[in-house]
Formats: sequence, C-alpha cells, structure tokens
Amino acid sequence: MDNIRQEKVQRYEEFVDKRLKPDLQHAIAQRDKVFEQQKIFADLRKNIENLEKNSVTSLRTMVNLGSEVYLQAEVPNTQHIFVDIGLGFHVEFTWSEALNYIAKREEKIARQIEEYTQLIASIKAQIKLVLEGIREILQLPVGKSSQERIF
Amino acid sequence: MEETKKGTVTSLSSVFPAEEAQKAVKRVQDTIADKHSELDSLRGFVADNNNLINLVHKLPEQLSHDIMVPFGKAAFFPGRLVHTNEFLVLLGEGYYAERTSKQTVEILTRRGKSLDSRVDSIEAIIKDLQAEASFFNATASEALEGLVEIREDYVEEDCKQESKSGPLKQPGPDFGKTTADDQQYALMMSRLDELEKQEELAAESGNHSDQNEETTSDTDDISYQRPTDNNLQSSQDFRQGMLLDQTKSKSVATEIPKKQNHQEDIADQLNFASLSVQSKVQEKENVSKKVRFVDEGEKLVHPEEKIVKATTASKSEVQHQTSQTSFDSRKAFTGSIVEHAENIKTTPREQSSTSSQVSGSQPKKPVSRFRMQRK
Repeated sequence: MDNIRQEKVQRYEEFVDKRLKPDLQHAIAQRDKVFEQQKIFADLRKNIENLEKNSVTSLRTMVNLGSEVYLQAEVPNTQHIFVDIGLGFHVEFTWSEALNYIAKREEKIARQIEEYTQLIASIKAQIKLVLEGIREILQLPVGKSSQERIF
Repeated sequence: MEETKKGTVTSLSSVFPAEEAQKAVKRVQDTIADKHSELDSLRGFVADNNNLINLVHKLPEQLSHDIMVPFGKAAFFPGRLVHTNEFLVLLGEGYYAERTSKQTVEILTRRGKSLDSRVDSIEAIIKDLQAEASFFNATASEALEGLVEIREDYVEEDCKQESKSGPLKQPGPDFGKTTADDQQYALMMSRLDELEKQEELAAESGNHSDQNEETTSDTDDISYQRPTDNNLQSSQDFRQGMLLDQTKSKSVATEIPKKQNHQEDIADQLNFASLSVQSKVQEKENVSKKVRFVDEGEKLVHPEEKIVKATTASKSEVQHQTSQTSFDSRKAFTGSIVEHAENIKTTPREQSSTSSQVSGSQPKKPVSRFRMQRK
C-alpha cells in the first residue's frame, strides 16, 4: 500500500518536474519574445509619428555595422519606409500606410500575448492541481498551504 | 606475522561506486557541452569580427554606398552611407572615438586577438575536461570489473629485514610472485655490493698496470665520443706545431689546463713535456707517422682509427707509468705525450686527479661489468 503510494507520488512529481515546468518555461520565453515585438512596433509607431509631426523629409543617422562600429548614413527621402512583415519580407509603405499596418500588427501582438498569458496560467494551474493531488495522496492537512495562498 | 599487518585491500567499487563514477562522467560531459556552446558563440564572434574587418577595410574604397538604413528594428529607409572613412568606434563605458578605416581595423584586430586567446583558453579547458571524463570513465569501468586497491605502508625497518632475511622469508600466498622477485633483487644487490667492495680493494692496493690496461681498453670503445673532439683539436695543434715550435708548445700548454683542470705546476710540467714531445716527434718515426696520419686524415677521426693509434702507441711506448695517464694524455695528444709523462715522474696528485677523472668520466657500469666477466 505504502509502496504504491510512494510510486504514485514519485510519478506525479516527475510529471511536474519533467513536463509541466519545462512547458511553463517555454511558454514564458515565447511570451517574452512577443513582448519584445510589441515594444519594437510601439517604438516604430512613435518614431513615425515624430517624423510626421516634424515633417522630416531627409534624415542623417548613424548605422551600426556590428561590434558597435558606427558609420554615418544619409536618407534623402523619408517618404517611403520598408517595414518588416515577418518571415523576412519587407513591404514598402508610406507613413500613413505604415501606421495602419503597425496598428493592426499591434492588435495581433496583443492577442498573442493574451493567448500566451492564458497558456501560462493554465500550466500553472495544472502544476498546482498535481501538487494538490500529491498532498491528497500523502494525506497532509489542507490548512497550511491554503492559508498561505490567502495571504 | 608481519604479513597480517602489512597492508589493506579495498575494492575500487567500494571507494568509487560505478554509478557515482558514471554520474561524474555525465556531469563532466554536461560541462563539456556547455563549454562547447560557449566556444561556438565565441567562434561566431570571431567570424563576425573578421567580416567586419573586411567590411571596414573595403568601405572607404567608394565615396558612398547605397544601403537600407535601419530605422528601429523592424523598419528600413532606403539611403546611403556617407563619409565612408569616418568611423565611430565604441571604446567601452559609453565612450566613442572617431577613427579612420585603418585605425578601426587596428582596433578590431586587437579585439580579434583577445577573442582568439579566449577561444584558446576554452579549448584548453575542454581538453582538460575531456581528460577528466575519460579518467572517470576508466574508473567506472575498473570499478565494474572489480579492481582492488592494495595499500601498504612503507616501513624502514621492514625494508632492512627484507634485504637481510629476504631469502628466508616465507612468502604469503598472494604475494608469492613479488617476494620471489624481491629475493632475486636482493641477491643481485648483494652480489653487486660484493663486486664493488672488491673493486675498492683493488683500487686501494694500487693500480695494477695490466688490470688498468684492460680496463682502459675495455672503456676505450665506450668513451670515444669525447676524445675524438679533443683529438681533432690536438691534431690541429700538432699540425701547427710542425711549422711553428713556439706556437705549438703554447697552444698545448693552454689547452692542457683547460681540459684537465690541473694545477699550474702540472701545466708547466706538461708544457715542458710537450716541448720535448716536439723534439721527439721529429726523432721517432712511429710517432711522427702517427702525426702525419692525423695530418692527412680529414677532420673526422673515426673511432676505429683512434683505436689503431692507441694500440700503436701502447706498442711502441714502454709501459712504465700507469696506463690511465696514458689513456688520458692520449685523449689530448694522440698518445705521444705519454712518453714524457714518465720523465716527469707523475706526481701522486696528478695520478689521483687523473684516476678520479677516469672514474668520473667513465660510467661505473662498464667497469663493474668487466669485473664480473673476469670472475
């Protein structure tokens, strides 16, 4: 009897450690990536709005060649901008078109973040469920852990 | 009695369980994998750096380059690079320096060197770790095979008793082979001691000329590498000496103390000896022939030739004095000076020095071997 219980507990723990926790880590990493994307597009939107506000037609900037070596670059015409639409494709937009696209893209990114948050929450819930199961098998008192959760 | 407390036998698997060793192997392998990934990223940096060096090198070739100017991380503007020979290089801590292409390349090559050294150090670490892993692997397999470790404390007293009562000792069943070897070894050692004692006795009782003669002839073959060099020099001296008496005697005089490290008075004696050698050289056909032989011979004096010379010298010369000195002087002067050593009446100091030289220069082994053969 005791042996079987021990075995069960071990199996559950293994499931938590080897399946659920790596899943959780993976999901969090994915969400972080999407957060980064969100930031990139937010920055781009702000920058384009800035250019519009100041009605910039030509631009001088420093280009990073890698290893923090910069070289001056000149943009004679800022009307057209190439925006990354994913999978290595870039589309030539005017400012307004770009802003439209960015708005849609941000929406989608927000949805993705929501999805990932849901996924993470469900994984966390599963982990808690399994841990509760282990507690039940070991017949430990409920009080302590539930009290902790209240606080 | 003694065997009981002699040592301990522990199986390797009890000290290093096989599973533990295998775990250690796994851990080390993990570390190696980590280091490999680090190495890969470093290699990537090195490659990037090299590409950048090429790029920086090429950029000033044109006044401007059409590029897509990055605008944020997700957007580009079509534009061009201008001022292609003005680079802004990060020095660290937020400080930038304006450099030309050439100067930038220099900075980048320095960075590349530091990267290379890091790559080297990581490679060395990986090598060490691999050695460690193989060691753990070996330990694991040995533990699985049931290898035992025999540990025995070394006690001075035991050693003495072993050497004395070695042959009488009853060997344990496990150590039978080793004690048998020990017996043989002890026997050999005692025999060697005996021989050495006899040798010493012989040396004390004075050098019997015939014995020494044989010794030298025995050792002649062995210690020829050195004499040939000296012989060359001395032969050249002789050649000069045939033409110029003074220079010859001087050169020999300077050479003797250098080689034999004698006292000055001995050097003088030898100097005198060499002078008389000079006169004798003209007189004595045999010796002069020898000298000519040396004269005609090339720079390379073969050991065989040397032996011939030595034998002729020993034949022609009256062997009054110790052949040790003759051997030594032959080294120096192709054997002709020996004659005159007898005139000088070799001082005990010289003899002792020469004999010590002989014993010092000659390895002990051949002598004792010879003695063993004589028995």
